[in-house]
Parts: sequence; C-alpha cells; structure tokens
Amino acid sequence: MTENPFIPKPAVIKAIKQQTHDTKTYTLAFVNEEDMKRFSFKPGQFNIVSVFGVGEAPFSITSDCEEREFFEHTIRRVGTLTGFLDGLKVGDIVGVRGPYGRGWPLEDAKGTDILIVAGGIGLAPLRPVIKHIARHRGDYGSLEILYGARTPGDMLFTDEFDEWRKISDTTLRLTVDAVPKGVEWPHRVGVVTTLFDELSTKPENAVAFVCGPEIMMRFVVRGLLERGFSKSSIYLSMERRMRCGLGMCGRCQIGPKYVCRDGPVFTYEEIAPLPDKIL
Amino acid sequence: MAFVLPKSELRRVIDELSKDYRVFRPVAKGSEFVFDEEGEPAMDYDTTILPPKKAFLPPEETMFTFKRETFHVEEVTDEKPVAVVGIHPCDLRALHLLDKVFTGEFVDPYYMRRRQSGFVVAINCVKPCEHGFCTSFDAGPGAKEGYDLLLTDLGDKYLVEVGSDRGKSFVDRLGLDSASSADVEKAKELVEEAARSMARRIDTHGLVELLRMRIEHQHWAELEARCLSCGLCNVVCPTCYCYNVVDKLDLGLNEGARIRTWDSCLLLEFAEVALGGNFRRERSARIRQRILHKLLHFVDQYGEFGCVGCGRCVKYCIKKIDPVEIVEVLRGGA
Repeated sequence: MTENPFIPKPAVIKAIKQQTHDTKTYTLAFVNEEDMKRFSFKPGQFNIVSVFGVGEAPFSITSDCEEREFFEHTIRRVGTLTGFLDGLKVGDIVGVRGPYGRGWPLEDAKGTDILIVAGGIGLAPLRPVIKHIARHRGDYGSLEILYGARTPGDMLFTDEFDEWRKISDTTLRLTVDAVPKGVEWPHRVGVVTTLFDELSTKPENAVAFVCGPEIMMRFVVRGLLERGFSKSSIYLSMERRMRCGLGMCGRCQIGPKYVCRDGPVFTYEEIAPLPDKIL
Repeated sequence: MAFVLPKSELRRVIDELSKDYRVFRPVAKGSEFVFDEEGEPAMDYDTTILPPKKAFLPPEETMFTFKRETFHVEEVTDEKPVAVVGIHPCDLRALHLLDKVFTGEFVDPYYMRRRQSGFVVAINCVKPCEHGFCTSFDAGPGAKEGYDLLLTDLGDKYLVEVGSDRGKSFVDRLGLDSASSADVEKAKELVEEAARSMARRIDTHGLVELLRMRIEHQHWAELEARCLSCGLCNVVCPTCYCYNVVDKLDLGLNEGARIRTWDSCLLLEFAEVALGGNFRRERSARIRQRILHKLLHFVDQYGEFGCVGCGRCVKYCIKKIDPVEIVEVLRGGA
C-alpha cells in the first residue's frame, strides 16, 4: 500500500532560537533517519507542521536547503497552533509532512540580478534564497535585499545581516515603520517601499522575489512596475489557510490556483487577473 | 451487452450486493429522498437531498487516530467497500469530476480506496426532474460511462447494461436474461425523450471566456442581497469537495483523532487567515467563488465544467438562487 500523505512524521526539536518577542526559529530533525535522508526541499517550499490534538498549518522552510541534517521553521505566535508551538521545548516532538509547493525559480534566475523585498516574517521563506545564492555566488548577478519591519525589535535574522553584507555584490537595505523611544536605529524609517528611492537593481535583467503581508506586496508590486519590472519578473509568495497541502481540501484556492500546489510562489502575471486578493 | 431485470428482482440485486458491500440506495424520507444503507429502494426518485458522493467522501470521517505521548498513529480504513445502487447520471458524472480532484497529481488514499473497491449501479433518467439542467454539461439524462451496471426503467422491468468486468461477473451471478434489441431500442428512446423534455439549460457556448470577463460584475452584489450565506448549496452539491480538518481529543488529552468534514466556501470562516484576515469577507465574493469555481475555475483546473446540472442547489436554496438564472444575467439576457 502506498504511503498515506496525510500522516505526519515525528520530528524532534533540536534547538529553539528567539528571533523577536513573538517569533522563534525551530531547528528540527526527523526522528527516523530514513525520513531525514529522504527529505529534500527547494527554497520557498513549505512543510505542514502538526501538533496532535491542536491541529496543523503550513510553514515555510527557512533553513539552507543543502543542510541535510536538519531543517528550520521560523514561526510567529499569532494563533492557537503557533501559540502552542511557542510553548514547546528542545526535545519535544511535533509532526511534519512535506515539503510542498513550488518555490522560488532559482534555476531560471541563473545569470540574472536578484532583488529581494521582504516585510516582517516574510523574510523567512527568502532566507534559503540568500543562503543558496551565497553558496552559488557565481551563478547569479547582483543581490539586493530590501527588508522592512514594524520596529527594529521585529526584525528577523539580525545576527546574520553582517554575514549577508559580506556576500560579494550584495546590498542589504533596512527600514522600520517606527522606532521606539530610546532605540538607536541608523537605517531608514518608513514602509518597505521607502527604500525604493535607493534601489540599485536595474529591471532589465533582474527578477524580484517578494514576500510579506499581502497589503505590503500590493504596494511593492506597484512600485516595481513603475520602475520598469515586468509582471512576469515579479515573484510573490502567497499565503492562504490550508488543510491538506495537496490541492484537494480547496481552502487555499485563489481563482483556479491552489496556493499549496501551484504556489506558494507565483509571478504577479499569474495572480493579477484572479479574484479575492488585495494585491 | 444488455440484460433485463424484472422489477420484482431488484431486491435480489441489493441483497446479493449486501454480501460484499455496504449498499447505498435511494429511499423515501418524508416527501424527499435520501441515499441510505437501509430501506426499500425508490428507484423512480427525482433527486436526493444529499448526493451519493457521501458514500465515497463521507460528510465526516476519521483519517487516523493518534496517541500524543508516544506519537503512535493508526490509519483508519473501511471494513467493507461501498456500493451505490440507483445513482443518476448527473451524480455519476460528479464522481468522475471528484476522481480528477482526489486521484490526480496527488492521491487521497481514503477516497481512492473507496472508489477502486466500490460498485456503482446507475439508473438513467426517463423523466426530467424539476430543477435539473444536466444536458448543459452532457451529464444526463443518460449515463455514458463510469458505471458497473446501468439500468433503464422499461415499465415492468429494467434494461441492464454492463460497463465493467466487475459488472459482468455480477450479472452472471444473478443469471439475468439477455435483453432483446427492442428493449435496448426502447431504453434509448426513453432517454432521448427525457433529454428533449428538459426545460432548463445553461448555454455553455463561450461561457468560460464570458465568465473571465464577468469576475467584476454588479450581479455579484445583487446576489449578496439575496444570499443568506447558509452553505446549503455546498452541502447538497455532488461536486463540492472542499473539506476542513479538526483534531478531537479524549478527556485524558492523550488519545484523539484527526477528522475531516465537508466544508463550505459560502461560510465566512472559509477564507479566514491568521489575525482575523479574510479574503472573502463579503458575501458577494463567496457566492462568486462558488459559481465561478463550478463554471470557470474548475475548467482551468481540470479541463471540464465543475457543475453537473443536478439542480439541488436551486431546489434547496431558501432564496432560490439559480445558476441557470445567474448565467443568463451575466450573459446580459433575461
């Protein structure tokens, strides 16, 4: 009998790193070595993480895809399941199934400049892209990362920023919506599109990878189109609630697209004509 | 290959199938009909409240049980395969559409096992039902494929056509007499006559292209004023397949089950996301989702219309919201 795709496999929490006041990065490894060996993902794909008795939900994989001993999820505490995950400790077991979905088009993007625009937790599915480009630096043109968050304290992966800046031909530009009193902030203030006046990536031979709240992506897309990016060169990682991850439960549909199976990464060209979005 | 079955012998078909299958058949319930595993078959029913898809995709089913402390998981499987006797051609075609959803690129093991082990006895419609518009989608009143056996009511007997090897061996087991060419001819005429007398129809010519241009249209807002967002149309639809998943825990908080239930895109919660976001907060967006999924998006997804014209959604809709009418309005007609 073929394997039941709905049954999660046990994975143990190896490490937990506090990223911000409400967001943690969980390092996980499948309990069964065979499961770990078989697990391989592409940047932008996601797993469905399960806590029996609480439920399951999709989370992007945020680790380096060439790291085969473990994988990571960076999860913000926003609801019942994420609230429960927030209370877990190293050594606890969760259920994991995946990877699912279509990730960022890193094969097709070879030889082109890459612009990353991320908002808040939206940087999580783009971290594997940055790690991939760092490993295969010669395969890609310039790398420019625009990252915005609500406050300096809401920024993810801050301890890796220096490392990212050291990747050759790479620029990292930061902005926050607001700076709390007494916090030192040497970067920009304003929503992420504020950074567009510094944008150095030229649209002619570039692709943009965008992830963040849908309302933020709406304005990013408009800004990029104004600056000469084509609809087909803008890639967005979409988010909808999902139950199966396999294009069956129907929950994540946007028009004819199943976000789980056809995405979560789409070009703006694919998404633009569809209903029920705020893009 | 065709045979005849005297009407008095129908009970024997059900008894014989019952040896190996859970046999769903149409039975009267008040002034309506339902598919049930018990009761006298009412083969001349017009339609049933719930479609027979429930035999293959139950309204609620346990996918697996678990023990939290040990991470022990036990997959739940059926003890007995299912048979459906008396499924109408529209509902039969709906199963074909569900096959596309559940046994395509990814396979739903629960659905697939039931379909593979299941037995289907269809029955052609020889008189049109009040709300149906199956001819719009070539989904009736006659069945073309997808059955093990196909019955046509010839008055005192059924014509029995065979659609699979499994159907053939079952006919052999029953020892039915061969049909005459006059019987076959009469059945054909009855179905053709039924097709001619179907009063309702959606004109599907150029419909996909038209609907692509009607994603934004004032009629969706007009429907919002009528639709109660009750989700009944989803519940009675033979092609609605969306489901929700919930975990249930026992009082000891260790043992539990992961359960899936039919879901409804008309309900507010359906397109809700974290932090209270909702991509179909307006009722107009939800009714548009349902109508366009059937008549536009499903075509993009699976190459066929996702409606079979069974007419249940309008029959049971409290406000009589009718896909036939909606398409006419969107076409700019009546």
